[in-house]
Amino acid sequence: MSRKDAEIGTGFAGRHPGLWAIAFAAALCAIAYAEHRDFLGGWRSLPFVAAATLFLVPLTKAANNRQAAAGALSPATRRYNRRMLIWSLGYVLCLGTAMTVRNYLDPQGTLLWGIAVLPSVPMIYFVWTLARYVVEEEDEYLRYRQTSAALIGLALVLLVGTLWGFLETFGVAPHVPAWWVVPVWAIGLGLGQMIMASTERRAGHT
Amino acid sequence: MKNRLKVLRAERDWSQSDLAERLQVSRQSVNAIETGKYDPSLPLAFRIADVFDLPIEDIFLREG
Repeated sequence: MSRKDAEIGTGFAGRHPGLWAIAFAAALCAIAYAEHRDFLGGWRSLPFVAAATLFLVPLTKAANNRQAAAGALSPATRRYNRRMLIWSLGYVLCLGTAMTVRNYLDPQGTLLWGIAVLPSVPMIYFVWTLARYVVEEEDEYLRYRQTSAALIGLALVLLVGTLWGFLETFGVAPHVPAWWVVPVWAIGLGLGQMIMASTERRAGHT
Repeated sequence: MKNRLKVLRAERDWSQSDLAERLQVSRQSVNAIETGKYDPSLPLAFRIADVFDLPIEDIFLREG
């Protein structure tokens, strides 16, 4: 690993990635709350979701810097981080296109089906990115670490999804669209990485 | 699983980064193996043995 890789950058990218993850999660929670209170909703939420997504750019840079400084930035990890950022931006782009078409063109029939499916198309790239990481990562410990964090993300999705589903069924919680599984999974992934990092520190890691 | 990685590394005056470079893994991997947080796969254990020029059982110790 080069000296440049091992240095933690300064400025925005030099901050802890957890701070950017918290900012991202907080922004999503604020949007959800605003939608619940009818301050936002539909296309009106879009600029706010797009702005929140921009937190992922410094988050990715900060994560790269942090992983490099910790001696944990493999070429596969770097590619994974870059692909996840591309997916995030593509997701917002497809979502924005779909909502704009729906609100301004009043689509019907096949076009309506098309734009309804459009935001889910980047998920193919997302799933491919996860699979490619497992295939491309030659460092077995880093692979174990990332898959463990992903499983923690999955656990959070299952727990929150099931809990919220029953709260909805019994009429004590408002409806939440199923596409929230991805942000919840991402939050779980971040939590998983923090748990792994904490475990390593306790075991005497730097 | 316990191991003698830290001692063997110190005997050769190698840093974790030096060993990681020789094994072609991340420094974090060396750290995780050394502190017993992660048990390496058999192929990686053989690579570690090759780097130290020792049998595996002289590096990794049975617990209990």
